[in-house]
Amino acid sequence: MTASPRLPKTPPASATLRHALLTNREQALTRLYHQAFPAVSRYIGRHGGSEQDAQDIFQDALVILYEQAIGGTLTLTAAPRTYLMGIGRNLWHHEQRRRARLSYEALPDDLEPLVAEAPEESTFAVLDYVERLGEKCKSMLLAFYYFQQPLTQIAATNGYRSVRSATVQKFKCLERLRDSVRRAFKAETIEL
Amino acid sequence: MRPELERLRLIEQQLLNTPAALPAEDWNLRLLLDGELAVDAEAQRQLYQGLRQAGRQQLRQELRQIHAQLYGGWRGWLRRAWAM
Repeated sequence: MTASPRLPKTPPASATLRHALLTNREQALTRLYHQAFPAVSRYIGRHGGSEQDAQDIFQDALVILYEQAIGGTLTLTAAPRTYLMGIGRNLWHHEQRRRARLSYEALPDDLEPLVAEAPEESTFAVLDYVERLGEKCKSMLLAFYYFQQPLTQIAATNGYRSVRSATVQKFKCLERLRDSVRRAFKAETIEL
Repeated sequence: MRPELERLRLIEQQLLNTPAALPAEDWNLRLLLDGELAVDAEAQRQLYQGLRQAGRQQLRQELRQIHAQLYGGWRGWLRRAWAM
């Protein structure tokens, strides 16, 4: 008997969701929002949260779900709305504990530990320069590096005749971003 | 592609661990031979981190728009009234 090759198994529900998010993000997210937000909002409302809390928590939960689905690390054993409800509930409990701690503890005299937890300064600089890239480069880089759309799709959306042209353009955009961040850091170093 | 873009691609393949990434020993050898490679790779890693943050910001913006479309105006009023 020959052993069958071991293929990586992605649960069909996760694969379907991933495909939907890649091919029509707006439609897929709107469907998820419509299906899951009312229940999460009701739960948070009944556990001391406001309408705005519900919105923030639910959107955080959707970002988590999105990144896991696109990154291929999501294993759905229930409907996406059930999964979102679970994440939302956990995030809300976490937020409640955070608020309770803040109300009982005095503000720290030394803010250094809080600063240490903040994202790297260079991340803020890059964020700033992504905004200045121009719409075409920005949307291309985000489509590839964050939304993880295939280059075939990016090429079609942006009117490139081939994947190769789209690839070259993507690296040109990345080079522009790197150069503008570099220039800014050099200028800062000289000023210091 | 011109050599500068090829270098970006080479670093990207390593950082994102794509199928075209060099085996670890080859990459380490390149790092030894090319004094600027480690610095360039670190700069590129920071670009990817910034792009991740920018992507999250855009996703949040899209979600706020979806919320407004679904629950803005009279729909929002109706939903709040129903929840009471």
